[in-house]
Amino acid sequence: MGLLSEQDVQYLKDLFGKEMKDDVKILIFKSDDKSRCEYCDITVSVFSEVAEIDDRIKLEVYDIDDDEAIANKYDIKGRVPAIVFLTADGTDKGVRYFGIPSGHEFSTVIQNIISFSNGAKPDLSQNSINKISQIDVPTEILVFVTPTCPYCPRAVLLAHEIAKANDNIKAAMVEANEFPEWSMEHGVSAVPHIVVNDETAFIGAYPEDMFVDHVVQHVLG
Amino acid sequence: MFFVGGESNVKDYYDVVVIGGGPGGMSAALYAGRAGLSCLVIEGNSTGGQMNETDIIENYPGFEEIKGPVLGEKMRRHAEKFGAQFHTATVIDADFSGQVKRVFLDDGKVISSEVVIISTGASHRKLNVPGEKELSGKGVSYCATCDGHFFKGKKVALVGGGDTAMTEALYLANLVDEVLVIHRRDKLRATKVLQDRAFEKPNIKFIWNSIVKEIKGSDKVEKVVVENKKTGEITELEVDGIFIAIGVVPNSGIFKGKVHMDSQGYIVTDENMETNVKGVYAAGDVRSKKLRQVVTAVAEGAIAASHAAETYFG
Ligand SMILES: Cc1cc2nc3c(=O)[nH]c(=O)nc-3n(C[C@H](O)[C@H](O)[C@H](O)COP(=O)(O)OP(=O)(O)OC[C@H]3O[C@@H](n4cnc5c(N)ncnc54)[C@H](O)[C@@H]3O)c2cc1C
Repeated sequence: MGLLSEQDVQYLKDLFGKEMKDDVKILIFKSDDKSRCEYCDITVSVFSEVAEIDDRIKLEVYDIDDDEAIANKYDIKGRVPAIVFLTADGTDKGVRYFGIPSGHEFSTVIQNIISFSNGAKPDLSQNSINKISQIDVPTEILVFVTPTCPYCPRAVLLAHEIAKANDNIKAAMVEANEFPEWSMEHGVSAVPHIVVNDETAFIGAYPEDMFVDHVVQHVLG
Repeated sequence: MFFVGGESNVKDYYDVVVIGGGPGGMSAALYAGRAGLSCLVIEGNSTGGQMNETDIIENYPGFEEIKGPVLGEKMRRHAEKFGAQFHTATVIDADFSGQVKRVFLDDGKVISSEVVIISTGASHRKLNVPGEKELSGKGVSYCATCDGHFFKGKKVALVGGGDTAMTEALYLANLVDEVLVIHRRDKLRATKVLQDRAFEKPNIKFIWNSIVKEIKGSDKVEKVVVENKKTGEITELEVDGIFIAIGVVPNSGIFKGKVHMDSQGYIVTDENMETNVKGVYAAGDVRSKKLRQVVTAVAEGAIAASHAAETYFG
């Protein structure tokens, strides 16, 4: 049996049929070294199952060492598994995942497939988009999560939407359990924990306007 | 586990808008959908509500044991099967003054509907002691399933003595070295089976008749200051984290002044779950009542949606 149930597959088939437009490219960076990446196999498996559901979902799997040039292009820095979303024409909106998006987090993957297939336009209020457009320096938002946290997917989605709204911004989910050192570095002990440009910006779940304000204030002071 | 909940494009009018995707809201959506009404559930976090913070539910009839998030996913799928649609956003304001109601979302959308069912549930009550806010997210947590993993092999305090507190204590006991339960009385309020299980766990210790006065630490939790109410004695417990499970407060702030509430902010309804405003209902933990459980939330959601269907679309 696969990781997704038959019901899940049928559900996604209907949903993608209704909501997808163009192709979506999903790049996965993995390592076959189990000690380095416990969840790479299962990440590749679950994305392969999703890609089989609709042929507009184009999956490309790379090895973090063998395909170094591509990994560097997308700034993966050896962190596996890493997942990058691209639009049909290969446009990178800065949307990333480090670690497996399992549990509730997987629903954000489904959202991103639909979003990227429709041009990856930010699903944010005009007010938020205006504020985000003020960010004129390269910015990276990291949202540390655990798969059992129900407050985390919304934070990840908001960060991804912010990245879609401004080419200076990249945003990634980071699964804290898989990257203990990276988490320790930022003192993560509760999730969602949001790091902006390598510094903790805020901890906890916030609605859109507050989330956006916190990010913008952190970058622009 | 992989939860695949997806979303379709949101329209600007639905027969029924449900605010909050916990069990109460999803049951309302199922009944609305089956009655042939168009229905949108607006959820600010993840569908499932507080069930997502429950490792195992064992008092929902028909399921001797089921993981909270799994029951949540089943309820969502069930509601979707009958046509209910889901959208991730937080409702930040509402206008119930006209026959057509409007809700305002944090993503800028405004949705109109004939009927609104409020099922925003409840959130964790805070202790309101010095250090709690400052160290929130730095060892102070309200969600064991979210943050328990960060305390593997460590020692944590847990404040509370009810069902939720014992559920969390048992969950944490499987992850951490030691759980110190701090409770203000000399016995627990929790259901007997949960009490028995907690007493059996060698790494759950109880500190009775005690309240937390302060949480201390420079950039993370280091100590919890506890006062024994009987003896007046003050002790400092060295812990790496503190989980707070002392009950809930209703998520009703945005409806203040719009529908009747009791003195604690819970929404008051009649037996059909309708508030004092025609076409506006409340169901689940946000409603003024005694028993706050999954089984009561789903019952109230069903009552609200079927009454609305008969009364406003009959
Ligand atoms: C740790 C724990 C263990 C528990 N164990 C059990 C058990 O074993 N058995 C049992 O029966 N019950 C248990 N409960 C209680 C049970 O989970 C609740 O009674 C039930 O979930 C209430 O359902 P609800 O739909 O009313 O609200 P909730 O489950 O609280 O759901 C409300 C939803 O509304 C959303 N929301 C709130 N405000 C807004 C807004 N403005 N805009 C959009 N969305 C909003 C929230 O994000 C939430 O998802 C437990 C609770 C906890 C915390």
